[in-house]
Amino acid sequence: MAVSRIPGQRWYTPYLFPLPALALFGVFFAWPAVTAIQLSFYEYDVVSPPVFVGMENFVRLIGDDRFWGALANSMLFLVGLFPLLVVIPLLLAVLVNQKLPGIKTFRMLFYLPVVTSMVAVAVAWNYVFHQQGVLNWILTGAGLLDQPVQYLLDPVWALPALILVEGWKSMGTYMMIYLAGLQTIPTNLYEAAKVDGATSWHRLRHITVPLMIPYIAVSMTMAMLDAMQVFTSVYVMTQGGPQDSTLTLGYYIWSAAFEQYDMGYASSMGLVLWVLLIVMAFVNYRLTKGRTVMP
Amino acid sequence: MTPRLAWWLRRAGMYILLTAIALVFVGPFLILVSSGLKPSGQAVFSFPPDIIPRPPVLTWAREAWTAIPYFRYLLNSVIYVGVMVPVYIVVSALCAYPLAQMRFRGQSLIFFAILSTMFLPGELMLIPRFLVVSQLGLADSYAGVILPGLLSAFGVFLLRQTFAGVPREVIDAARTDGCHELRIFWHVMLPASRPTLAILGIFGFISVWNSFIWPLVVLKDSAKYPIALGISYLAGITGTDVRSLAAGTIISILPVVIFFMIMQRHVLDGMRGAVKG
Repeated sequence: MAVSRIPGQRWYTPYLFPLPALALFGVFFAWPAVTAIQLSFYEYDVVSPPVFVGMENFVRLIGDDRFWGALANSMLFLVGLFPLLVVIPLLLAVLVNQKLPGIKTFRMLFYLPVVTSMVAVAVAWNYVFHQQGVLNWILTGAGLLDQPVQYLLDPVWALPALILVEGWKSMGTYMMIYLAGLQTIPTNLYEAAKVDGATSWHRLRHITVPLMIPYIAVSMTMAMLDAMQVFTSVYVMTQGGPQDSTLTLGYYIWSAAFEQYDMGYASSMGLVLWVLLIVMAFVNYRLTKGRTVMP
Repeated sequence: MTPRLAWWLRRAGMYILLTAIALVFVGPFLILVSSGLKPSGQAVFSFPPDIIPRPPVLTWAREAWTAIPYFRYLLNSVIYVGVMVPVYIVVSALCAYPLAQMRFRGQSLIFFAILSTMFLPGELMLIPRFLVVSQLGLADSYAGVILPGLLSAFGVFLLRQTFAGVPREVIDAARTDGCHELRIFWHVMLPASRPTLAILGIFGFISVWNSFIWPLVVLKDSAKYPIALGISYLAGITGTDVRSLAAGTIISILPVVIFFMIMQRHVLDGMRGAVKG
């Protein structure tokens, strides 16, 4: 790279500005990241000094049914969250992109769960999921359930219930990304299509979706990162139960580290998750042929 | 059917649809509000749901306020927001300025190093970061909560985009006038980037106010809890009445919801800048 210096500027000036950021990067990202890699080859319980165990943590991981269960649950989150975070928000964005009086209020209401903490959201949904709560009233009333279900205490229902809560909480974020994208589409494109007799479904299918591909790509990457790292909702609502049915990778790593103080093993799982995320991000990038608006 | 009637019907249908969807997003919060205001004689859960409190009472809000050191937790969150949000914005902006407007060796290295932090899974970093913070003697302190949250790849990325859009002529003119780089940064770049700064402020406020995992890991002393952790603490106390938990939860989200309602018109503008690519 040709380094063209601005007259009167000292060579080190460009390096002074990023110093605070670089210091934070070094202390709270690079150093811990190196420590995490190192730690995954050690056994460490915080009290006694770390003991080098080679690949033992990874060998243990392969034989650990709970790890595979957690990985499977995280994948289920990914599959379940995909429609909630990538598909539905696009439709919501199309809805709130209309020019209607009061549309901004609706936008804000749809976005409300994003603004509130996961803890508050979890508390709120506990009331919805209650045996005598609204959801049971609706589902039994509509004849979809014979009797009320305790969603968070039932191994079949708990995971779908958490996926619903996570998706509901984050939908607004994805809606806003799509909305920002939609507003870059020139309206005369739609008008021309209307003149040619295209129905609203055709306009969505042949104008909106193709032009939104870069935004869909961003959403997919973000949804993947979100889904694979689900933690707070599990911590507050189910603690991984019942019978490990909501044990996600994120929660298992946390519990191994800060409940069992098995730092080495937890780090090795974290490392696997890291590699997995990078691979998935790369695959996603290739699938969308790099047509993403953010790196 | 006249076209005019069809138009009205379509519009009414659209509002019904929008209202129904809004109810899905706001409903759970309405249930909280209703539960937190119900007198002890009125059932919280019933078929069919009995939403209107008769009469609304503030007993439960008062009970939540005293069951945990509520004011203290709110104050802590205000401190975390007040320190972290301005500092993270300045740190991001300082880093973004030379990345956007200067040419130097190692430029892309710095940029990609900082961007790479986006792809570090939070759970992987919790453990070693906790160990690092402990080694620095910052465990269980305000500084331990604050410092690791001051670097934001998103902030650097967004501001670099924005700064790159400031016309070169403006900067060159300032340079010819003898402005040194710090003055240009402060008096040219920052004022030219207000929408981006606003969005970073809004998202920073929301994320710090709601922060949960990191404070949970780093804090032992509950007196330093931010409010979200305080609510989880309140939920964990056995014998907390469901009404009082509901009231306490609603109070905890009011500040951030009100803040957002005031600032929301800036969000979409900023988002547009963020995804312009």
